[in-house]
This record gives sequence, C-alpha cells and structure tokens, in this order.
Amino acid sequence: MSLLKPFNKLPELNTANILLVENETQFQKKLADTIVQLENDVNVIVRLARSLPLPVEIAEKRQRIDLVVFIVHLSSEQSLLSTEVSLKQLESGYFMGKMCFLVTGARCGTVPSERLTSLKKMAASLNSPLLMTEDGTTEGVNTAAQRVLNMLKISAGLVPMATGLYLSSLIRYTVPADPDWQDQD
Amino acid sequence: MDDSAKQVLRRIIRRIPSNKLQITLRKWECLSKKQFRSLDFTQPKWLICENLLSLCEENDLSLKHVTELEMIFHIEHPTQGTWYVSQLIDAEEEALTSDLLNFRESFKVHLKSLISHVSVKIKKHEDDAIWIRIAWGDNFTKPNHFKPTYVVHHLQTPYVFVTGLAAKHRPLLHQALIPSAHYGSIKDVHLSGRCLTALRDLLMRRYKQVFPEKHPRLLEERSPLPSHPNIENEHAKHAENRLQMAAEAFGDGMLPKLQTAVYKLETSNLLESLKYCVSSGMASAPVTPLLSSIPRKGRNYFVITDKGPGINPTPGPNI
Repeated sequence: MSLLKPFNKLPELNTANILLVENETQFQKKLADTIVQLENDVNVIVRLARSLPLPVEIAEKRQRIDLVVFIVHLSSEQSLLSTEVSLKQLESGYFMGKMCFLVTGARCGTVPSERLTSLKKMAASLNSPLLMTEDGTTEGVNTAAQRVLNMLKISAGLVPMATGLYLSSLIRYTVPADPDWQDQD
Repeated sequence: MDDSAKQVLRRIIRRIPSNKLQITLRKWECLSKKQFRSLDFTQPKWLICENLLSLCEENDLSLKHVTELEMIFHIEHPTQGTWYVSQLIDAEEEALTSDLLNFRESFKVHLKSLISHVSVKIKKHEDDAIWIRIAWGDNFTKPNHFKPTYVVHHLQTPYVFVTGLAAKHRPLLHQALIPSAHYGSIKDVHLSGRCLTALRDLLMRRYKQVFPEKHPRLLEERSPLPSHPNIENEHAKHAENRLQMAAEAFGDGMLPKLQTAVYKLETSNLLESLKYCVSSGMASAPVTPLLSSIPRKGRNYFVITDKGPGINPTPGPNI
C-alpha cells in the first residue's frame, strides 16, 4: 500500500500537476478539458482517477502531484463513501494546502442534507477548502476550472509570495461558531 | 353510420395526436381527395372530428371502416400500452406452410366457434407481421370496440405479441391461435415492454451482438483518443477492461429499448444472504444502497429510474 506523497519527487520547471478524483467520471472529463484549455502560460497536467490509491505500475513515471481535488456528488451516497476511503491514501503533507473538495448538487432540494453536513465536517476536520460548483452548465464548469486552477498555481509554487499553506489557513472550511449550524443545513 | 360507430370514431380521433392526424387519415383512404382537402387540420380537434363525422355519413362508412382507422394508427405507433409476449411451442410435424390466407380464415373460424359475439380484423403489415384486432363481447352483449385486444404474430416465428388482453379472454385467444398457427401449445415467455419493435428485436436477436472470441481485440483499438495530451487517465487500463466486459456482455451496438425488468430474490432469509454476500466479499464494498436500504428503510419494493438528480439518462436507441 503506497501513500501518495507530496514531496518525494522534485518539481519540474513551469509545470503543475493536478489530480482529479471522482467515482463517476463524467464531471472529471469536462473539468479536465476546461482546465487545459484555460491555461496557456503554465504546462498543466491533469490526471484523472476514480479512487485512490493510484496504480503502482506507473508510479515511477508519474510526476509529483501538486493538488488533489476530490469531486463529491451529493446526489450519490457512493461518491461520498468512495471519497472517504480515498482520503486515507493521502500523506499528511497534502492536507497543508495541497488538496480540496469540489461539491456538486448542493443546490438540489431532493438531496439528503446529512451528506453535505458530513462532508462539511470532514472538510473542517482536515482544514481543507470546500468549493461548491455547478456541474450542469458550461459557466459552472468554467468557474470551477478557474478556481481550481488558481489554487493549483499557488500550491505548485508558481505564484510568487504565495504558498499552499495560505490555502489551508485562509480559505479552509471552518465550522461556524453558531452551535446549531447543523440544524440550519 | 350508427351511434356506436360515431362514438368509436370520436374516441379514436381523441387518441391520435393532432400532429399525426393528417398523415393517419391520408393512409386510411376512406375519404375522397376533395373531401380530404376540405378538412382544415389547423382547427381544434373536436371541430375536425365533427367535420370528419359528417364526411363519413356522406360516404356511408360503417364501424368496419372506423376500426380500420384505429388499426392503421396502432400499426404506425405500436407504443400504446404494454405488450406481453407468448411463445407457441410443439410445432406440428406435418405443418403446412402457413400463409396469411389460411391463418386468417382458420383463426376467425376457431375464435368464432368459441365465442359468438366477437369482432376480428386481420391486417398484414409490411414486415411479414400479422396484426389482429379483436373486440370482445360475451353471449349477451355486442363486441366492445372501446377496449380492443391487439395481437401481432410473425408467421414464420413462434412469437406472439399481445396488448390489451383481459384475463378472461386469454384462454379463448390461445385456443384460437394454437391450431391456426399449427402448434401444440403456448407459454408465457415473461417478457413485456412498451416498445414492440424492441421486444421483437430482442427475441429474434436482431440487434448487434458480440460473439465470444478467443483472442480479444487489442485494447488500444477501441480506446478513445485522449482529448488533450496533458490529460492522463490513471485508471485507463481498468476503464478499458470495464468497457470490454460491457461490450462482451451486451454487444457493441445499440440495444433494444426495454423499460422494466423484475428480479425476484427468493430465499428463506434474504437479509442474512445479502449480509453473507457482503461479508464473504462476493459483493463489492462499500455496500451498494440497493442492498443496504432494505433493512434501513424497512421496504422490499424499489423502483429504480433514471430521473434522479444528477444522473443523466443514458441515450437509448431511437426505434
């Protein structure tokens, strides 16, 4: 069993690696296409995976991964469960500004609210950002790709004076102080 | 034209969608060209219907012609209601070559000897299918043309497709069908659906199938090209395997359209069995909600649809 490690390889010049983890693979592909189209200055390499751990056969060839994005569809229980399992395959270094959650379907009224609540708790306990996105529309995908790309550039060290540690301290998801926030969800 | 024929015609017109009315009436060929031109299809349907009724009066059309119209519409649009499939078995050895004329006469004679008040209409469709419309009555009432049974049979095959058949008429239909098609008996094949062509294709294996090959095709051959050189799929190999397994089980092409399937799981203790499936590793973990929601929700009847949030209905074949 090999954990995914953020610092076991040297970075490459002007290159950023992003890993999209999604149990179903529809949104992943759209997002990947948009990300590579949006970015022209930096060589962005997108890796798609259904779950972690990643296959060991190509571990040698694989470059160092700068940002891991877990895509969670609130409409599917399986998506949440699979994310929980995959999270255990990350080394702790990733939780310092090198991973985030991307949530879809939060606006849908028929989705059980407990899923979002447990995901928020998970994000808060891991000090990681939680981005709400819309996967149905082109604008939604564009916005998500832009936001993920901005984070990627920071965590890959391509933005001067910024480090991935800022991400976890500045835009991480925190539990509101209000004691009954769970009921409001 | 008597009142019952008028009522039946009104009902048929009501069931035909407005945009299909013109083409269906043209196929009917019971109106002269001039009469047909006099109908204004931009009018509301009830008005068209009244005009049509007066034209029918003019031509002195009877109930027979009206049911003809219904059959034309049904043959063109066979997705009205659910079709059930039966299979004729024990073909007679010295079976005569069954042609349409023999079948038609024999079926009518057999059915009318079983029940006196019945109206049968038989029509041959282009693709060798025989369409039978039966309006049932009983010993004291006239045939009810509002609830006809439709039967479709392809002469050279043992399959019979039936829609709109009441349970009490089933034995009568079977008794008439078996001798006229030169078979020994009939059985239910447990297949039903709204799309007649799909059921037919499924039974007659008319869709594109894959035969097991000893040497599977190279995986690269069917893998789609990556959309961008900078996108890499970590699980590409697994995805390929899954695609191949899916193709082996279901074939490469479009599949027939089937709306429902019923699986009955019967055992002395289903929940224990499911639990064993999971604990012994037969079912993949994490447990799918399909299995775990029986104890959680206290139900054992589930309907799975593709209308749920976030799930794109897979594109089906357009038949």
